[in-house]
Amino acid sequence: MRSDPADSDSAPAAASAEGRRTLVLTVPDWSAVAAATEHEFSPRTPVAVLSGGKVVAANAPARAAGIALGNNKRAVGYRCPEAQVVAWNEETDNRHFSAGVGALEELVARFTLLSPGTLAIPLDSLKHGYADEPSAVEALISALVAATGWEFFPGIADTVFAAVLAAGQARRVEPGETAEFLAAQPISTLEYAGAGATELIDTFTQLGLRTLGDLAGIDVRAVNSRFGTLGKHAHDLATGVEWAPLNDHVREEKLTVELGLDEPTTRSDTLGFLTRQLAADLLTTVRRRGLVCTQITIELIAVSGQSSKRTWRIEDMNENTIADRLRWQAEGWLAGSTRKGPASPQQGSTPSRTSSKNRKDSRHSKDRETPAPDEPGPDPEDFSEEGIIALGLVAAELTTPIGATRSLFDENTGQVTHTLERLQGLFGPDAVLVPGLQGGWDPAETNLWTPWQQAASPVRSPGAPWPGALHAPRPTTVENLPVDVLAVGGRSVGARPAGLESAPYAIRFPTGATEAIVDYSGSWPVESGWWDPAKATYRTRLQVVTDSGQALLLSKENGQWHITGRYR
Amino acid sequence: MSAVPLVEQLSRELGISTATALFDGLVPRPVDPVLAPMFRRGGLPRGEIVTLTGGQSLSCALATIAMATQEQKWCAGIGLGEPAVSSIADLGVDLDHFVNLVTPAEDWLRVASILIESFDVLVVDPGFLPSAGERARLLAKVRERKISFISLTSMPGSTEQITITDTQWSGTEHGHGRLRSCLVQARSQTGVHRFLLPGPDGTPSEAPPRTPTEGTFERPVIRSVS
Repeated sequence: MRSDPADSDSAPAAASAEGRRTLVLTVPDWSAVAAATEHEFSPRTPVAVLSGGKVVAANAPARAAGIALGNNKRAVGYRCPEAQVVAWNEETDNRHFSAGVGALEELVARFTLLSPGTLAIPLDSLKHGYADEPSAVEALISALVAATGWEFFPGIADTVFAAVLAAGQARRVEPGETAEFLAAQPISTLEYAGAGATELIDTFTQLGLRTLGDLAGIDVRAVNSRFGTLGKHAHDLATGVEWAPLNDHVREEKLTVELGLDEPTTRSDTLGFLTRQLAADLLTTVRRRGLVCTQITIELIAVSGQSSKRTWRIEDMNENTIADRLRWQAEGWLAGSTRKGPASPQQGSTPSRTSSKNRKDSRHSKDRETPAPDEPGPDPEDFSEEGIIALGLVAAELTTPIGATRSLFDENTGQVTHTLERLQGLFGPDAVLVPGLQGGWDPAETNLWTPWQQAASPVRSPGAPWPGALHAPRPTTVENLPVDVLAVGGRSVGARPAGLESAPYAIRFPTGATEAIVDYSGSWPVESGWWDPAKATYRTRLQVVTDSGQALLLSKENGQWHITGRYR
Repeated sequence: MSAVPLVEQLSRELGISTATALFDGLVPRPVDPVLAPMFRRGGLPRGEIVTLTGGQSLSCALATIAMATQEQKWCAGIGLGEPAVSSIADLGVDLDHFVNLVTPAEDWLRVASILIESFDVLVVDPGFLPSAGERARLLAKVRERKISFISLTSMPGSTEQITITDTQWSGTEHGHGRLRSCLVQARSQTGVHRFLLPGPDGTPSEAPPRTPTEGTFERPVIRSVS
């Protein structure tokens, strides 16, 4: 940390004056570090993490080799042929981070995981244990580095946002100087505000607002009337005002739900399933009080009595996102005890670690000493006698849903919601579906029907290019009906990459009915995932018009023709 | 004798406040200009049942409701199977105001009667034809809630019947090209109409002028003029 000794004399006085001082610790290029841990690369291996064809994170050796963010895969291979290129994976990021910061639990009372690679600690919780801010940071970082082997950048400022920015530069902002610090930052740092901010940043740039100071200089009411809630949020961030919902933190009593399991489990899918119901109960209680939950604390209790507690901040809080966090936390926690390499100094540096954890570690290292060819890796079922026996969820931060109010321009949404919920009650949640789109070649793949009031979870990215995707006009309905497509002699029509083997003449439906094909399109193949046998796709699509005037989309995969779409 | 007491009475008892409302009934919902001529009053009627049958009828129904959903009206589909979201979006339907119901076919009347309470447009492929009594109740409810009800099978009691009598796909040439548009011929109370549904960009569009050889209208015909 780049804080000179002169800082330390002013620190205690100022720290007592400022109640909301926040320390943010961030691991630079976290995705690359997580990927290296996941794939067990050596620390000196250059690693580049790719998302959407562009490098989103690269570790220090990779950067030294000239790899920059935004490079494509080819550029990476050109600059550094020995670099390991890994696809970005949110789960990996979260899981390893959640496991790694376990060492912090014995050092600080509470901390919040802001995003994978970044965590925030309120400094007032450290006030009693350490003389001043620098010594507190010193102690925390040395413990964390010893436990994890990762490099941490600290940042201290009066608001969380400023502290995150300060962490990027590894500096400490003096108490009361946060506004000046923020004023000098470029406007692009507002990306922190979330997905909607990208457009806002463009607009601000076009308006000539290049730094946060420029934005902060504008009257907040003017920003609010022109850019709405998001603009106001950006303005608050720029001026160093803590975002309003965090201030009117209304918390009358602890909203908690707990669940004891009949038998311990280590299966994260089981845990996720149980959590979904538990979280739904909690959120219903929260909603009944007219509140919105913005942070949630997840507690896992193992058979041995150990527990893991984390607070997560989730933008779109619902039972699925909570279940995801719990899954990550559980996976990270359970895997944490089997981690080798960086985990080994952990035992030495933190002797206060509970004995059962050590026992678990030793048991596993013993497993590894005796090579068992039939057991390739640590089997999750290994923990069966030490699995998780209870879960608890605590609504850690509750606010009034000022931003969640319904728009004035939506017509009778309340009644519609009521009606659809009633139908879901009668026919099950999956009976009421709302449409969405995701990536894919055929309508059956781009369809994303999600039950009403559940978060859509696209499997394939709609932003990625889908070469060979079907053009408009597209079929109106999706089907998956095996049929026979026959040539003149009654033989099935084969498909080759170069085209059809023979002209299709008739189509026979499973009911036995046959219709003549009066016209047909060129066939076009889709080949994808050939590099991965599990994901390999090869299919040929064909549009036909039958003599009844019907148009059909056919596709041949694994030697069988199917009707995949019907124009009706 | 002045007309004032009569106007007051009409306004009080029947909810008719203007002369136009008395003569025209409810203002129909706007539809795509290409489809508008099919409807008697140039739009999707409210408080009435419209039947839309024949080939491409689902596309036609979705294209009809597109403008209503864009005006934030809620629309639901019953018994449609699994519609392709991409084609719904191509036809202009606002995905935020469309809901698809996957309920047993024999329950469609129950589902529809619940949806009528709050929805503005229903597109229904009935699983069975309602009895005369059920139909009368359905009609009364549709009229009372002033919703637009499109049935994809013919149903007695409907006020407008649109039948698609002929569909002609073009764009494919026996192993070359791909489907590009469909020329639809529809018969309604206002006469016979021809248009492309879907057109080359997936939305309804005007039919090209008749050429002697139907089916090759996409290519410009070059002929000598002197």
